[in-house]
Amino acid sequence: MRRIGIALLQVLGVTVAVFALSALLPGDTAVVILGRHGTSEQIAALRERLGLDEPLPSRLLEWFGGLAHGDLGTSLLTGKPVAEEIADGLATTVVLTSCALGVILPLALAIGVLTGLRRGSPLDRAVNSVVVLLDSVPEFALGLLLVGLFSLRLGWLPATAAGISGTSLLAYPAVLVLPVVVLVCKQLCALTRQIRIGVAEAHTAEYASHARMHGLPERVVLFRHVLPNAAGAAVQQLARTVDGLLGGVVVVEALFALPGLGSGFVDAVRTRDLPTVQGYALMFAATTVTVNLLADIAARRLVPRREVAP
Amino acid sequence: MTAANIDRRRLLTGTLGTLAAGPLVACGGAGGRSDNRLRAAFSVSGSRESLDPHTGSLFVDQARSKALFDTLVGYAQDMSPVPRLAESWESDADGRRWRIRLRAARFHDNRPVTAEDVLYSYRRIADPATGSPARPQFSGVDFGASEAVSERELVLVLGEPDFAFPAAWGAPATEIVPANTADFGVPVGSGPFRFTSFETGGSAVFERFEGHFDGPPKPAELEFVPVNEAEARVSALLAGQVHYAHDIGANAVEMVERDERAEVLSAPRSTMQAVAFKVDRPPFDDNRVLRAVLSGVDREALVEVVLNERGELGNDLFGKGLEHYPEDVPQRERDVDRARKLLREAGARGLSFELRTSSADPCFEPAANLIAEQLGEIGMRVTPRVGPSETHYSDIKKHGVAGHTRTAALPITTYLSKRLRAASVSANYTGYDSAEFDRLFDDAVATADERERAELLVDAQRHARNHSGVMVWGFSDWNVAVSSDVGGLEAATPNSLNWARFDGAELG
Repeated sequence: MRRIGIALLQVLGVTVAVFALSALLPGDTAVVILGRHGTSEQIAALRERLGLDEPLPSRLLEWFGGLAHGDLGTSLLTGKPVAEEIADGLATTVVLTSCALGVILPLALAIGVLTGLRRGSPLDRAVNSVVVLLDSVPEFALGLLLVGLFSLRLGWLPATAAGISGTSLLAYPAVLVLPVVVLVCKQLCALTRQIRIGVAEAHTAEYASHARMHGLPERVVLFRHVLPNAAGAAVQQLARTVDGLLGGVVVVEALFALPGLGSGFVDAVRTRDLPTVQGYALMFAATTVTVNLLADIAARRLVPRREVAP
Repeated sequence: MTAANIDRRRLLTGTLGTLAAGPLVACGGAGGRSDNRLRAAFSVSGSRESLDPHTGSLFVDQARSKALFDTLVGYAQDMSPVPRLAESWESDADGRRWRIRLRAARFHDNRPVTAEDVLYSYRRIADPATGSPARPQFSGVDFGASEAVSERELVLVLGEPDFAFPAAWGAPATEIVPANTADFGVPVGSGPFRFTSFETGGSAVFERFEGHFDGPPKPAELEFVPVNEAEARVSALLAGQVHYAHDIGANAVEMVERDERAEVLSAPRSTMQAVAFKVDRPPFDDNRVLRAVLSGVDREALVEVVLNERGELGNDLFGKGLEHYPEDVPQRERDVDRARKLLREAGARGLSFELRTSSADPCFEPAANLIAEQLGEIGMRVTPRVGPSETHYSDIKKHGVAGHTRTAALPITTYLSKRLRAASVSANYTGYDSAEFDRLFDDAVATADERERAELLVDAQRHARNHSGVMVWGFSDWNVAVSSDVGGLEAATPNSLNWARFDGAELG
């Protein structure tokens, strides 16, 4: 319960910080809507109509008041409920990140275990080098390189998902391949290395040697002693991988023309649509905190002796 | 080109181009569409989009409006008006009463386009509640005195004489909609394509309108595909996912030119690149300081480096190549000695100021750096200040003394009226307020004789060139890319009739 209370405070802290930082940005929605042709009078009138002339604390309090009733507010730009705005891009991002996670998990596990059991071997060094190399290439550059090679040169895969969004992406799996590969390449490294380290440590630990001395087969040592002990830290790294995926979709969605949460969030910041920015921030913060909380709980259950920082 | 000018995007686009080169296999996108559907990729604005032709201000808004609706006139490449829904027009002797005769045209629901529809549309645009960017074009219309004379003839009455008024009828966001239309969820227009579907932030699909006055368009369907990143638009085009990529940016031009699957349509002199110096406050309220800057800038170097030689030299005048542009004004050359002398006379040696710039246009930031360097050579300390692109124009209007600006092609009379007259408060970035210029301009538009009007317009532009604070250093091309499988599209400057006009496109 204490962790849940702290998690709620963390989410609220993020929303307040995002509100304050957004308010510091030059210009506001009235300026963005009226563009270069808006006069000072028109901007002032629109600002009043949108409630932007209200003091910041009272706008924040009003937003929290709505939130207490489950209302994320209304977009200043479109007049649509913020929840609807977010829902528009949610399916696209969920499809994208789920597919990426579906690839990262088994791949990281396989590579991590394989290299962890053979630490220092040529295979370990080679695989480690490739994974680190992929991690070091920025998403934008990696995306362009993959598009150039697999779409434009070889013609194997679509270059973008232009015109396709939401769950309809699943009907065209080919358009997901490159965006998912970019996300996987960027997020695979940390999880793989964490699993590798955990497995290597557990594999050479005293309790594993003790089990072997008692005649347990290597397969049993691996599954009963090595993997569970390596899993604690890996689960917490997995939570950070989910965070990384949410950050990565901002670039990947732009590069592959996928209208998801990342694009929506950037659009909301660009247009200074504060209630919508708040809605996205709340959702991202809640996801991050929840995933990390679940990871901590899972780690505690997997390795009961492990002390997990609150 | 110096190393500093090779930016991240240019490098990545170059790499993409290298990988893309060679004999290639196109890879189509999603299926389930007509073989005769033209797909055009544009940058979009996300959730705030609508198909209301009177409120949109982005290129994609204009392109969709052009497909669904018509205007009374269009603009030729030199921005002179050419008839569209208006078959003919004439004014009275003093340019206040304009009689317009409409051609026989029908809306998509088979209703005829009438004079009442035109009056309704223009009233709606002029109404502040609509929030139309075209509102200033109709602020001088006396709608109480204006009337529909018959089903296909109307009279528009102006408060002041204006022989340049027909230019207003072809401006963006001046499309004719059926009278009393307020909801554009399922828009009905008279354009070459009729509405099929639209999702905010997503694709818009339109189908051929057989009853268009210009004949039915060649593509059976037209789809506007949202792709915000220029690199992604080019990738989608080369991969065969779209047929048309709007605004590909100078960086991708060479790459597309090397690729046999697509071609670049470059419209020269499409966008004026300028710096607005505020002449209503120090230091540029001293004309010697302004002239020092105008003499101290090396426009040729800017065109060579910033536009990568894909543009033309500016001469501190808007609208190169357009109707009424004063071609005979000598090119302003860099004169460092004169610039230094002017600064000395003004007691402004060592003057420092911030030059506001942003990524609102890809040329702004590199141009700011080069201008700072050039003006440093005449004894000024210029610091480029990078701000957010989305509020750039509002920022330069309100703050500072100098900022980058750009303007797409418009009729020169529209530009002079909306950007330089003292009364044009919304888009006057320099605070230029000259009774002399206003008089010359007002006399020009009130002059019936075309040659005399042209001479007065040239005089007004000459005056503005030296005093308005707009330093025009170049004109950039407007680049779009089209698939080699598509014919019937031509290079056209934004705002012109042929820009983003897809009714004549032929899919091979």
